Amino acid sequence: MTLGATLVLGMGNPILSDDGVGLLVAERLRGTSLPHGVEVLQSEVGGLRLLELVRGFTRVIIIDALKSSDEVARQPGEIVRYEAKDFKGGHRYGSAHSIGLGTVLELGDRLGYDMPADVTVFAIEAVDVETFGEELSPPVAAAAERVLGMIAAELAAAADAA
Amino acid sequence: MKKISVDPITRLEGHGKIEIFVDDDNKVQNVYFQIPELRGFERFCVGRPVEELARITPRICGVCPEAHHMAATKAIDAVFGVEVAPTGRLLRELLYNTFYVTDHTTHFYILAGPDFIMGPQSDPAARNILGVIGKVGLETAGAMIKLRAEAAEVISMIGGKQIHPVCGLPGGVSQAITAEQRDRIVEVTAAQIEFAKFTLQLFDDVVLANNDYVELIKSDAFTHETYYMGMVDENNKVNFYDGQIRVVGPDGVELEKFAGKDYLDHIAEHVEPYSYLVYPYLKSVGWKGFTDGKDSGVYRASPLSRLNAADGMATPLAQAEYERFYSTLGGKPVHATLATHWARLVELLYAAERAHELATDPEIINPDVRNIPTGIVGEGVGVVEAPRGTLYHHYKTDDKGIVTNVNLIVGTTNNNAAISMSLKKAAEGILTGGKDISEGSLNMIEMAFRAYDPCFGCATHTLPGDMPLQVTVKREATREVITSVKRNM
Repeated sequence: MTLGATLVLGMGNPILSDDGVGLLVAERLRGTSLPHGVEVLQSEVGGLRLLELVRGFTRVIIIDALKSSDEVARQPGEIVRYEAKDFKGGHRYGSAHSIGLGTVLELGDRLGYDMPADVTVFAIEAVDVETFGEELSPPVAAAAERVLGMIAAELAAAADAA
Repeated sequence: MKKISVDPITRLEGHGKIEIFVDDDNKVQNVYFQIPELRGFERFCVGRPVEELARITPRICGVCPEAHHMAATKAIDAVFGVEVAPTGRLLRELLYNTFYVTDHTTHFYILAGPDFIMGPQSDPAARNILGVIGKVGLETAGAMIKLRAEAAEVISMIGGKQIHPVCGLPGGVSQAITAEQRDRIVEVTAAQIEFAKFTLQLFDDVVLANNDYVELIKSDAFTHETYYMGMVDENNKVNFYDGQIRVVGPDGVELEKFAGKDYLDHIAEHVEPYSYLVYPYLKSVGWKGFTDGKDSGVYRASPLSRLNAADGMATPLAQAEYERFYSTLGGKPVHATLATHWARLVELLYAAERAHELATDPEIINPDVRNIPTGIVGEGVGVVEAPRGTLYHHYKTDDKGIVTNVNLIVGTTNNNAAISMSLKKAAEGILTGGKDISEGSLNMIEMAFRAYDPCFGCATHTLPGDMPLQVTVKREATREVITSVKRNM
């Protein structure tokens, strides 16, 4: 990994239906021609293990599935874009699963690691992330295509600006 | 009747839910603990070659993939009826103990640490890993992160891959390690022993030196007299990778000891209409409801249970710590749920010592790491001690090794009844006031829950990066909200 580099990180679980969308987008992105200095990785885990993955990159783009509560009422396949500032540090842990991205970023800063200054998350509203399966639902599969385009455009714009 | 709901929501719908029902006098009537169901696992597995289960089952959980990989690999050994090559066995156990070091360390600093180091009544905004760092210093946090990175390095050396190991094959492992790799592992595991000792010292300084904490640990609200389950070696010492399953009673006397493959003769499952998750209990004692004591078949499987179920630890430093544990807490068995945190650190020291012992075994670099199976039995059970309890994998296949049936009992499931009981008792002991439910008192109830480190077997990451918690008190008849506490929402 080189300083100044961008990491595109697809996250999820490949055997929990729509939860595999982030991994799929990363895989598809790998098959395209990418600007210089862009690395694409997949991760099936988060929490503290994320810290090691994102260290040293200037910019990180994460793709993951999202399941919003009913009150938020998002449409399946809806793409939500978050910035790092949207992530509060995790305060409550029911289990080791739930140390959040915000905490990971703050922890890295406190430890004096080279942490990405710019973290963007593309979250795709899922239909089903609780049934074992390797297929995406149609709205999420369609959203995967759109996210691919959005990320390619962002990477190209960043390359042009540089 | 009013309803108090403690509902920690992780990234997805994969969240646990605690519901506390109180009557009009604010007396706790009942507590329900529910976790979500992941659907269709067996259907997903059936029809696949059984070897694939060692790669599929680790994906059930983002926290302990190594435990599933080991249980699956052992079950697959049995399906093919193959004896494991001695060095293959050593490498599996080395990987597994290294995983324990990282898992137990993380639990202490991330989960238990905030409650004790910051204090259970402290501001929730500070009661987290960042608060812990503020107290223990950046150096310790940096050391913990370094330990995790080095453990991951060892796991990927042996496992072939970081996070989801792929080394386990019927009859052994896929690759040997070199002398250079061995030297690095010896170095890493030596450092892990030092870090485990340091962490136990920290526990001494922060928890045991504080009389309020010791009283809290020993208090009735956090005590249950149950049966205890754990895997033991031929000397009845704790072992995570292999051995027999031993069960001791609330009096500490051995009830039974059995081979993993006979688990169905010893464990039965109780079902409640409100929960899809079953409540395993000891068949020979029977289900008597959510109650403790000698007549109730409720058992626990946790770090504390493993220590209670064994006669000691197989490594010297951990054995000394084991003795101090029981002499400090008033003899065996210890029934205090919160003592699980200390038990976990005794196990941390054992795991580090055992990993070092295995790494320095001359046979560890023997290139002969696998026996090739020559036949098929068609059924196998693999059991390991996962950090959160005894983990059973049971597979059946046709004569070509294609899966026809899968049954798993995971760590958290073992403890399902005990978790409900612990929450109820903690709620009874702590929610004595009524309407004003403080943040601190709810956290104390959750401490009973966190001691088990329940694993929902689903969430691998968290979005939007936090775990919101909503606590509401409702009047049962009208659904009128009396009190509502929201955190991180």
